[in-house]
Order: sequence, then C-alpha cells, then structure tokens
Amino acid sequence: MDYSRPELADRLAAEYVAGLLRGPARRRFEALLPAHATLRTAVRAWQDRLMPLTASVAPQQPSPAVWQQIEQRIDGGTSTTAAAAAWRRLAFWRGFAGVASVAAVALAVALAVPGPAQPPLVVVLGPATPPPADAGGGGAVVPASFVASVSPDGRAMVTKPIANVRIEPNRALELWALPRPRPGQTPEGPRSLGLVKPDGATVVQRGRVLDDVDALALSLEPSGGSPTGKPTGPVLYVGKLPAPAER
Amino acid sequence: MSSSTAERDWSERSRELGRLLARAGLGDRAAFATLYERTSAHLLGVVMRIHGDRAQAEDVLQEVYVNVWRAAQSFDAAQSQPLTWLTSIARNRAIDSLRRAQTQPRLHSNIIIASADADDKETDVYDTVADDAPGPQALLTRAADARALHACMQGLSAAQRQSVALAFFDGLSHAEVAEVMRQPLGTVKSWVRRALLALKVCLDAAVQRDAAAAEKG
Repeated sequence: MDYSRPELADRLAAEYVAGLLRGPARRRFEALLPAHATLRTAVRAWQDRLMPLTASVAPQQPSPAVWQQIEQRIDGGTSTTAAAAAWRRLAFWRGFAGVASVAAVALAVALAVPGPAQPPLVVVLGPATPPPADAGGGGAVVPASFVASVSPDGRAMVTKPIANVRIEPNRALELWALPRPRPGQTPEGPRSLGLVKPDGATVVQRGRVLDDVDALALSLEPSGGSPTGKPTGPVLYVGKLPAPAER
Repeated sequence: MSSSTAERDWSERSRELGRLLARAGLGDRAAFATLYERTSAHLLGVVMRIHGDRAQAEDVLQEVYVNVWRAAQSFDAAQSQPLTWLTSIARNRAIDSLRRAQTQPRLHSNIIIASADADDKETDVYDTVADDAPGPQALLTRAADARALHACMQGLSAAQRQSVALAFFDGLSHAEVAEVMRQPLGTVKSWVRRALLALKVCLDAAVQRDAAAAEKG
C-alpha cells in the first residue's frame, strides 16, 4: 500500500486514533509512523479532532499505590536526587535572572555519581544583556531563558525555552559553543551548533558537543541561520559551563 | 480544529501543563508529580472506559506515566496540546493491553440498537461535551471547537454516532461493534468510515467559518 496517498493515510489515521486498527494492522501502522510524515500529520490532526470527546468521561481517582509504584519505577536512585536538587537551584536562579545585569547564569548538576545513572549536565542560558532595542523591532523579543540539558556522554543536547520566546517569522535563534581560550593562542571563534526552536525542544546531536567549551550562547539570526558561519545578530542568551573538574 | 495546535490558543491551564511536561522532560520530579496530580484522574477515567477492571486499568495507568516520564522530552508544544498528547498515550496503552489480556470488553456506552427513531433516547457522554464546567474540556480544546464537535456529533445519524462511540469510548473493534449492534460487519465498517469522514468535513468547515469570522473582526 502506498501510505503517502493522502486519502488512505487519513483513513488509516482516523481508524488508528478511533481505536479501530487492531492486532497486526495496528502494529504495522505504528511501525510506519516514524518514516511517514503524512501519516504522523494525519494522526495528530485526528487526535486533535477526537480527544476532546474524552472531556466528558467521568474522572476516576487512582489509588495512592499507583503513584508509589510509578515513583519506584522511575527512581534512578541518587541521580534523581541530584536532578531534583538542580531544579531547586534552577527555580532560585530563575527568580534571580530577571534582576539587573546578571551577565550569565550557569548551573551544573554535580556529577559526583559515576556510572550509567549519571544525570545530564544542565546549563541555564540567561539574558546576555537587556534585550537590544533593535533586536527585530519593538517588543519582538521577550526576555526569557533557555535550558540546555547535555547527556552525560556529551554527545547530545536538548535545548528548551523556559518561557516561549517570540521572534519575528524571518528570524531564527542559533546556538553557539564558545571554545575555552588557550594560553598563548589566538582565541577560536564560536562554533555553530545549529538552529534551535524558540518555542519548543530542540535536540542537538554533535559528537562531543562540549569538549573544550566554555559557554553556550544564542544569537538572533536571519531565518536559515547566520550566512557567515559566525554570529551576525545580537547575542541574546549566554550560559557558562562549569569547568570540567566540577562536572 | 487544525492539524497543528497553536500554543497561543491554549488555555492558561493547558500552557501550565505544557510547562510541567517540559520540566519533567529535563528530570524535574516535582513537576512530574504535579502533572500526575492534575491529569491522572482524567486518564484513569479514559482507560477504565476501555478496561472495565480497575486493577488492570491502574496497571495500564502506571505504564502510561512511566512512559510519559521517559518520553516527556519528545513532547512538542508546537504540535500538540499536553492533555491531547497524554490522553492519546493512555488510549494507545489501553487498547494494546486489551489485545494482550484478551478480555471481554465491558460496555459503558448507552447501548441502543441502531434504529432510525433512537435519536431522542440517547444520553451518552458526548451530550455533555459542550458543558462549560471547568474540567478537562478547557485542556483539550477551545470552547468554540468544543461546540463545533458537539454540533458535528449531533449531525451524524444515530447509528453512525453509536458505532463511533462504541469504538472510541469502549475500545470495541469493528467485529465487536457489529456484534453489539447486531449488524453485519460490512455495514458497521461503512457506518464508522462515513461517520469519521463526516466529522472531519464538519469540523474542518467549522474551523474555516471561525477563521472567516475572525478575519471580519
């Protein structure tokens, strides 16, 4: 079957979301989803259409044991405690970040615990300076912060805005890694890590993204990214990484 | 109702759920606990409609939230409303576990054997869809869309409406719907197919009317 045919994609998506695809047909459909954007779009549209029907279903309070079991299963032991502690600090910094000219706010989860349960490294990118008046016209940029969460092996990073950033449609946010200066050498310029979404999570996958990196920065660029390979617009958010010894 | 859900149209409570999900995706357990508090009763309600047995439904619910914790990073606020996303995960899990358990589906929908005069006797759940009471409604859809959905459901024939309800709410397969409604399988399949198509056309038309009205100001 040609799943890119819109009518077929739409009919299958409707039956899938309505719960009518069963057994092997259901599994086959789910296996196709990652590769077929037409199917995914159709499924999301049908979820938008049909899920509101569930608003009228009588809620059922789960017994307390359910949450206890969930907690046990997601509990990675000490790593969770570290992540929770990081978030308490993050909450503090978020309150702080809006105040005055704090150039950058950096935060790291202390990776005292080795092994597979290592928590990600969390870097908060705060406003670099008060938003420049020319950053795309009056009120085009709302101050907010980004969080970058780097996997313990340094191979992948997820960036997320803490509050959605509104930028003009013809602009984009580009993420940069600022290499650590080495004594006696001309400092390297920033390395682009690609564009990140102003309104959702972006997964950045680059080998060893954080090797020899001092800080992360987000700059406002033309849509499609900097034409020169170096930041051309104002740097809006900066976050320093902890020194490797502290990670 | 559009295929992509513009976040600016969400209610403030829905945006709050989105923020909780985003933080859970970064490992924030407290945010995840709050998310659970706010959404678990709705999801259990949905699962229990499909899975009559509470113990089994609670097992499904547990699976759902463990998955949500692991997948929270993949939630995309630009694509879905948080509760729509969560409810879809819960329904998928419930339907998958039905297959595994081979259980007899338990019916909750108001069963009316299809007949032309069945319309006024129906008091099924979707009659309350347009209710303005605070609840999951505001988290799943805008008020205008809820009214449109209600109107579009009412626009279906009684047989079509019931076949969709049995499938959607109670998790019945085509064959099970046919058995309950005592109709040939082919008839039921075509009712459901036409009902879903009619809903789509009706809802898309409502969205276009809204957009036109908004343009006129």
